[in-house]
Amino acid sequence: MKKTFLARRNALFSSTNVSWGSYALVGSVLLLFVRLLAPNFFWQVFAPVFRSANFVANESHLFFASFGNTATLTLQNEKLSNENEILISENQALLQKTTSLEALFSVPTGRKNVIGILAEVIARPPESPYDMLVLAKGSTAGITLGMEAFGEGGVPIGIVSSVTADFSRTTLFSSPGMKTHGWIGNAHLPITIMGAGGGVMSASLARSAPIAVGDSVWAPGPGALPIGKVVRIDSNPSLPSATIRIMPTLNVFSITWVELRDTGTALWSALSQATSTLP
Amino acid sequence: MTRATLTLLSFVSVIFFPWPLTMFLAVASSFLEPFVPLAIGIFADTLYYTPQAGVPFFTIYGALFTIFAFFVRSRLSTGSIGK
Repeated sequence: MKKTFLARRNALFSSTNVSWGSYALVGSVLLLFVRLLAPNFFWQVFAPVFRSANFVANESHLFFASFGNTATLTLQNEKLSNENEILISENQALLQKTTSLEALFSVPTGRKNVIGILAEVIARPPESPYDMLVLAKGSTAGITLGMEAFGEGGVPIGIVSSVTADFSRTTLFSSPGMKTHGWIGNAHLPITIMGAGGGVMSASLARSAPIAVGDSVWAPGPGALPIGKVVRIDSNPSLPSATIRIMPTLNVFSITWVELRDTGTALWSALSQATSTLP
Repeated sequence: MTRATLTLLSFVSVIFFPWPLTMFLAVASSFLEPFVPLAIGIFADTLYYTPQAGVPFFTIYGALFTIFAFFVRSRLSTGSIGK
């Protein structure tokens, strides 16, 4: 005898027709609307989630690092300590030199020791695919559109591209589509630095230009500040120009804080970018 | 259960893991849930899109994978007996 199986029926919810993908799509669209209509509220909700992600990343890094070879780590630590000592003494010498020069040229006191706004980074690459940082400070802390972001050691890393009341986002120089007019090499040749994504940048220059691997790349800040180094030069004899691959000075994948400073209109004019329409 | 787990894991990955892994999970989910790549794409762009990028790449890639997943499913679907 043929047996008939009847599906369990429910007027409101049927487990046989559940499509997790559809629910996920509806949820994503709703989140997008919240993000567009109430961006500050959206980031208030998501900031703790990002912070927990950072915590998990740090803990897992420490866990895996604990398996490292102790002898190698000790040697590496010793080497880094020595390098650090040398850098500190060099830094002090340079600081002394700067102070002497400022005194010599009578720099106004208002331009000395420009203090920026420190902001915690709550999301960074490689989680964010567009090479941008989400910062836990916004317009209430004094952050405005176009401020320049500096990492450890005063290295410029990007520019504030959108601001809400309590959060802001910084687009890194390595973001795809980001174009910055800067300089390269000892001769300070002018170049257009293009963001290539994944924390790297590229530029195009004439093959005859005197550029070598290891040369510094500079971006406008207060003066010209080093943002990276040339790591590779792709040159094709049939083409008049060479493509230069640039690695940022700071590792953007491990930035935990940035300093934001208003560097005036110099940086804005050095950028060729679309106008921000998304808050 | 597998569908729910994969969908949830893909969403968690957007925040917790690097984006290539997120992409892998979304594509893997598309075999069971074709809408997941599009949903993940919209979610990723909601979190990370910057105007400098010009085009919301993740939404577009998600939509392409969703269309591809539906196409593959339509080719693999059985005849009228199974319906």
